[in-house]
Amino acid sequence: MKEAFGAALAAIGMTVGMMFASGAAAQDVIRIGAPLPITGPLAPEAVKQQRGYDLWAELVNKAGGVKVGDKRHKVEIVYMDYQSNTPRAVQGAEKLITQDKVQFLFAPFGSGATKAASSVAERYQVPMIAVTASSEQVYDQGYKYLFGTFTPNQTLTEPISDIVRKRVPAAKRVAILARNDLFPLAIAQELEKSAKKRGLDVVYFEKYAIGTLDHASALSQIKAQSPDWIFATGYTNDLVLMRKQMADLKVEAQVVTMIAAPAYQEFIDATGKLAENISSASWWHPAVRYKGKDIFGTTENFVKLFEAKYKSTPDYVEASAAVSGALFQMAIERAGTLDRAKVRDELAKFNDVTFWGPVKFGSTGQINSLEPPVFQIQGGKPTVVHPSAIAQGELKLGVK
Amino acid sequence: MLALQILANGLMLGGLYACIAAGFSLVWGVLNVINILHGSLIVLGAYLAFFAYTLWGVHPFASIAVAAALFFALGYLIQSTMINRVIAAPVLITLTLTFGLDLMLSNAMIVAFRADFRKLTLDPPLGSVALGSVVMPVDRLLAMVLALALTGLLYLLLARSRIGRAIVAVRMDREAAALMGVDVKRIYAITFGLGALMAGAAGPLLAMIFPISPITGPVYLGKAFVVCVLGGLGSVPAVIVGGIVLGVVESFAALWFGPEHAVTVSFALLIVLLLFRPTGLLGKKGYE
Repeated sequence: MKEAFGAALAAIGMTVGMMFASGAAAQDVIRIGAPLPITGPLAPEAVKQQRGYDLWAELVNKAGGVKVGDKRHKVEIVYMDYQSNTPRAVQGAEKLITQDKVQFLFAPFGSGATKAASSVAERYQVPMIAVTASSEQVYDQGYKYLFGTFTPNQTLTEPISDIVRKRVPAAKRVAILARNDLFPLAIAQELEKSAKKRGLDVVYFEKYAIGTLDHASALSQIKAQSPDWIFATGYTNDLVLMRKQMADLKVEAQVVTMIAAPAYQEFIDATGKLAENISSASWWHPAVRYKGKDIFGTTENFVKLFEAKYKSTPDYVEASAAVSGALFQMAIERAGTLDRAKVRDELAKFNDVTFWGPVKFGSTGQINSLEPPVFQIQGGKPTVVHPSAIAQGELKLGVK
Repeated sequence: MLALQILANGLMLGGLYACIAAGFSLVWGVLNVINILHGSLIVLGAYLAFFAYTLWGVHPFASIAVAAALFFALGYLIQSTMINRVIAAPVLITLTLTFGLDLMLSNAMIVAFRADFRKLTLDPPLGSVALGSVVMPVDRLLAMVLALALTGLLYLLLARSRIGRAIVAVRMDREAAALMGVDVKRIYAITFGLGALMAGAAGPLLAMIFPISPITGPVYLGKAFVVCVLGGLGSVPAVIVGGIVLGVVESFAALWFGPEHAVTVSFALLIVLLLFRPTGLLGKKGYE
C-alpha cells in the first residue's frame, strides 16, 4: 500500500515536472517590472496603475501574447511594493532587473520616484515608461531609456487660463492654494505664470502641508480677498475636504479649478452636488475620442473594456498605465525582438495615434504630441470644454 | 473681522481634536499604554457610519450609539485577551503590540474597503450658521458639542461612578487598589473598552467632516498624540484644553505664517512647552 502510494506520488511528480518543463519551452514570457506604492499613503495611486497594467496584460494574453518575430510571448507583470517610500522604489527597480530578471520596466508613481528610479533603468539600459511623471526635471538628465506619457505641466495651465480670460473678461483676481508637494506645487507655480502672463493679479498664493486636516484659515483669507478665480491643487482627500470647507465657509467664485482630484470619479462621488461647475484639466479623459493603432483600438473600446472589468470609469492614470503597456507591445512587435536597445529605438521613433491620443516622444523622452483636455463637472458628469475638436460644452460660471 | 473668523475656526477645529484624542488620553493615562490602534479604530467607526448612511440611510448621529456599544465590546475583548498578557511589561512592548494590531486592522480595511477616499455627504447638508460675518459650519459645531459632551460624560463617569473611582484608584496605585479588592485586569479591560468607545463615537462625527480612507488612521493618531502631550495626561479636561489650544494655534499660525507652517508652529510650541512644563498644560505629576 505504502509503496503503491509512493509510486503514484513519483508519477505525479514527474508529470508535473514535465508539464512545467514543456510549458517553459513552448511558451516564452515577457516580464515587465512594476514598482508600485501598494501600501502606505500612496496606495490608492498604486491601485490605479495596477488596474491599467492588468487590463492590458489580460487583453494581450487573451489574444495569444505579444508577437516577437514569428513567435507569441505571453506577458507577465512583476509587481514590487515600495511602501510609498522613494528610496525603496529605487532599490525595488534594481531588484526587479537583477533578481527577477524583468526585461522592461514601468516607472514608479509620480515625478519624484520616477526621476529617482530612472537612473537605475539607465544604468542597466532597461527601457522604462513613466506612467505618471509630468515634471520636465524628470526628463532633462539626458537619459536614453526613459519615456513618459505626460506632457509638461504648463500644457494643463495654459488652455484653462485662456478659457477663463475669454469667458470672464472682467476677471482680475486669482487665488491659488497648493499642496506643498512636488506635482501639486509645480502645477500651481505654472498657473501663477500663466495667469500673470494674461494680466491677472495673483492676490493669494499659499501652500498647505501634506496631511493637512483643516483648510479653514486659508479659505477664510481667500474669502477676504474676494477672488474671481480660485485655483487649488492636491489629491483627492485634500480637495474633497477643501471643497466641503469652501461650502461651509461660503467661499464662492466665478471659476473654481481643482487639479487633480476632479478627474477621478471618487471626487465626484465624495463631494456630490458640491462638485458642480468645478473645472479641471488632465492629460486624458474618457470623453476624448481617438482611433488608435494599439491593441485597444479606440478610446470608446478602452473605456468599455475597462468598465466591464472594473465596474468603474477609467481616469487618466489608469489609461496612462494601459497605454504604456500597449506602447511596449507595439515597440517590441515593431522591433521583432526583445533586445532592449532595439525596443528602445522603436519607442524613440514612435509616431502614431493610440486610444490615449497621438504619441510621439521628444528628444528628452517626454511625450510632446498630446493636447490635454480641460473639463468641468456639469450635472454630475465631466464635460470636456477644450480642445474644441472634442469639446462637449462651454465653461459654466459660478461656483457656490 | 478675519481674526474673529479664524478664532471660530480654531475653536471648532479644537473641538474635533479633543474628540479624536479623548480615548487615547484615557488609555495612555490609566494603562500607560500608547495605543497605536486608536487612529484606525476611529477610521473603522467612520466606515461604520458611512455604510450605515449610504446603504440604509441611518443618520451618523444614530450610528454613534451603535458604534459606541460595539467598540466598547471590541476594546474590552482586545484588552482582556491580548494586552492584559503584557500589561506589566515595559511600555515599548505594549506599544509594539498595539502597533502590530494597527497594521493588521488598517491593512484589513484596505482589503475590505479599498484605499480610495470616500465621503459621507449628508443630503440635505447641515449647512452653516452666520454670526455677523463669522460663518460656522453646523456639523463642526455639533461635533464640538458632542465631543465636549462625551468627554464630560467620561469625566462624570470617572469622578462619580464606582467603576470610575476604581479606574482612578488603579491609575493612582495598582497594588493598593488590588488590595482593596479591585479586579485590576477587569478595570483595565473596561478602561480600554472606554477608550475604544470614544474612538468609535468619534468616527461617525469625523465621517461627516473628513474624507474617509484606511490610510488616514495615522493622521488622527498623530493629532491625538500632540493633544495629549500639550494638554497633559491624567485628567479629562486636559484633553479639551489641549485640543482647543492646538486648534487655535494652528489656525492663527496659518493666518500669520501661511498654511504650510501651521503644523510646524504648533510643534515648535509643543517643544517650548515641554521645556517649561513637561507635564503639559493641565497634566498631573507622575503621568508624564
